[in-house]
Amino acid sequence: MTEKKTAVAGEGPGTAAARRGRLRIPTLSYAVALLFLVGLVFSLGNGNFITGYNLSTIISYAVLLLLVGLGQMCAILVGGIDLSVGGVMSFVSVSFVIVVQVIGYWAYPLFILVGILVGYLNGILLTRIRIPSFIATLGTGGIFMSLAMIVAPVPVNVPTPKWGYLDIFNGTFLGISNVIFIGLLVFLLYFAILRFTAVGRNIYYVGSNIKMSWMSGINIARTRNFAFILSGTGAALAGIMVSAVQYGCNPYVGSSYILPSIAAVVVGGTALTGGTGGAFNTLFGALIMSVLQNGMNVVGVDQYFQQSILGMMIIVSVALTFDRSKTPVIK
Amino acid sequence: MNDIGSSTNSEVTLALTGVSKVFPGVVALDKVDFSLHSHEIVGLVGENGAGKSTLMKIMIGVSQPDEGTISRDGILISPKDPSDAIRHGIGMVFQEGTLVPNLSIMRNLFLCHEPGFQKLGFLSRRAMREAASRLMEEVKVSADVETSISDVSPAERQMVEIARLLWLSRLYGQKHPVLILDEPTTVLNDGERTILFDILRNIKKEASVILISHRLQEIVENTDRIVVLKDGKNVTELPSANARISEIEQLMVGHTFSADRYREDEQTPAGAEEVLRVENLGRRGAFEPISFVIRKGEIVSLVGLVGSGKEEVCRCINGLENADTGAVFLKGKKLLMGSPNGAVRAGVGHIPIDRRNDGLALGMSVAENVNLLVMNRLKVWGFVSPPRERKNAKVWVEECRIKTPSLGTMCANLSGGNQQKTVIAKWLSSKVSLLILDHPTRGVDVGAKEEIFRLIRKLAREGIAMLIMSDTLEEDIGLSNRMLIMKDGRFVKEMACPPGKKPGPRDIIDAIV
Repeated sequence: MTEKKTAVAGEGPGTAAARRGRLRIPTLSYAVALLFLVGLVFSLGNGNFITGYNLSTIISYAVLLLLVGLGQMCAILVGGIDLSVGGVMSFVSVSFVIVVQVIGYWAYPLFILVGILVGYLNGILLTRIRIPSFIATLGTGGIFMSLAMIVAPVPVNVPTPKWGYLDIFNGTFLGISNVIFIGLLVFLLYFAILRFTAVGRNIYYVGSNIKMSWMSGINIARTRNFAFILSGTGAALAGIMVSAVQYGCNPYVGSSYILPSIAAVVVGGTALTGGTGGAFNTLFGALIMSVLQNGMNVVGVDQYFQQSILGMMIIVSVALTFDRSKTPVIK
Repeated sequence: MNDIGSSTNSEVTLALTGVSKVFPGVVALDKVDFSLHSHEIVGLVGENGAGKSTLMKIMIGVSQPDEGTISRDGILISPKDPSDAIRHGIGMVFQEGTLVPNLSIMRNLFLCHEPGFQKLGFLSRRAMREAASRLMEEVKVSADVETSISDVSPAERQMVEIARLLWLSRLYGQKHPVLILDEPTTVLNDGERTILFDILRNIKKEASVILISHRLQEIVENTDRIVVLKDGKNVTELPSANARISEIEQLMVGHTFSADRYREDEQTPAGAEEVLRVENLGRRGAFEPISFVIRKGEIVSLVGLVGSGKEEVCRCINGLENADTGAVFLKGKKLLMGSPNGAVRAGVGHIPIDRRNDGLALGMSVAENVNLLVMNRLKVWGFVSPPRERKNAKVWVEECRIKTPSLGTMCANLSGGNQQKTVIAKWLSSKVSLLILDHPTRGVDVGAKEEIFRLIRKLAREGIAMLIMSDTLEEDIGLSNRMLIMKDGRFVKEMACPPGKKPGPRDIIDAIV
């Protein structure tokens, strides 16, 4: 009997994860293992994959996905979803390119503020006007996408004399690209908010059981607003970065980040139903997505075929990383 | 075993032999044997976590046994899922109910099996109506079969479920259907309960019934045989005819019960300080203005039938509903009405009746649930400190004797009694001054009940004022210092319950009805 007991106990990733507490290591370890596996396959497939130049390309895309993904994760954790991240990214990136030429460094805080405000608007639509976040953010996303087109119907560039303002993203420190430091900083910020602040913790409670949270006196509206503010901020940061590293951008840039942002969150092991997951999950989710997308280009997979491989990989990786034992009903 | 009960001359229709089931960290069933004769009602009793639900789940194919066999009329079967089990004539009426609320009785009865009523490729509404009416007659439901399920009473819903299972068994040609009823009476009033058992006795002519209930009285009165499980093992079985409740309780818990189960001798008199003052609180359509006071360390019981307005009074005090008139004061400070947040901040705790849905984040750990209300107190330099979190959770898990493999265990994996203790621990750690307990022992086994009573007494000693609504009158009388009796939305009578001079249930029943 006892032998049997231990055998069964070792089996379920979910229960083992639950026993070890909040970090949920086993779920995460699948994501880490998957990352290494995918990386290994591509390295063997083409020697160029592992070169310094290519790695910096991967990191750069991964950090972009991380920024928008961390925000998306907050919206998902609280039990919602944020489809406006694409519109926000587009709007922020083109406006940033134009405004940074005029006001210089002040453009950074200004557009972070824009992200906060858009997130707050999304939150208000959900909590005050009571429109489901899926619809509300679909709407605001569309509005900001069109604003981006109005602001800059064609791709815009930062003229060379003004490039100095973008050194924050393009410089290096101790031989390591600043992008990595920025990604790390934002990651730590989101991690700390979710792990060490009461309002961050409330995001988990509300996402896990909203009625119980309400009855326990948690301010539901404030918690949800905050989660969407975090989401808007992440999208705005990604918008700033995408312009900064390319010294310009086109108004469509954000639309290609909506689904990857959700994929990065879910592939990392955060449940779409809310309440479980975390910053570490999204970090690995973003890395996996980035390695995949880049690796397929390097190895020379047909452009059209890449989408289906990506689709399959999302399904496979969610099958591995998603902790089903936490969600009684899979929707 | 054959000579037990009234079912001597009938054959075994369902037999589970040497069934074991292991979950991570727990042996839920350890070589359990269970047999059911045709035309028999068997009561299955045991504490929460004794293995009753696991045994049921194995019978209806929700989980599969690790060892052991299931045989039906002598033939080995292994149900894969509930729809497979019903093909073998085994069906279950769940605690929560499994009907689709927005469909009619008729639609629910034949759900997923409508093709039998097809004529020329179309469903014959008339044939369905006729069959449904006949079935409803059998279970004595008078409502029209086109009534939507959301409009019928909980009792009638249960009857519909029973009728559905009977009909399915016939559809699959089963001669001896087996019906499993899990706590069928918790949602029923006394009259409905009597009707349910009448129907079950009637159904016995055709089917066998397994009855799970925490109300031992009804088990003894309505079954032929009682099977007792404890810690996943068979303890014993005995004929119901000469079973005594105290004897069964003892078998379930494994030790004798103190005569003073509500710990009356530990009852402390109310303090002088006023904790809760309710002034002219009223809500149109629910209850008329009511005023009362609860003092420090006092346990006040709110007594009344369903519809007496007692639930609504509590919901107005803890802010879940907004009152039309009056005010609530906690320690002299006026509460913000209609806001759970305001009530919680002021120090009103609330143990809800539905702990799974309203009391816990089931997908989160015991520690996270216990710490929910006190995050702000676990901060160091403005940030929540993990060591403090662990410390606080550990203190309250021990204080409330929550049986859990670890602090990180998901609440969904705890038994009902331990989930309830987790909810209590959550509120206690936040240092409430008033605790509203909405049926704190509902669906909790005897052993866990005792622990909850112990906790309640301890809280009173520590000066927490409590407002209780209980499952039984006996519990109300036993626990409280004072009872407030409500009837039809009006406050009718107040009764003191000092230790040693408690009124009897009869003194109160007249006032309630």
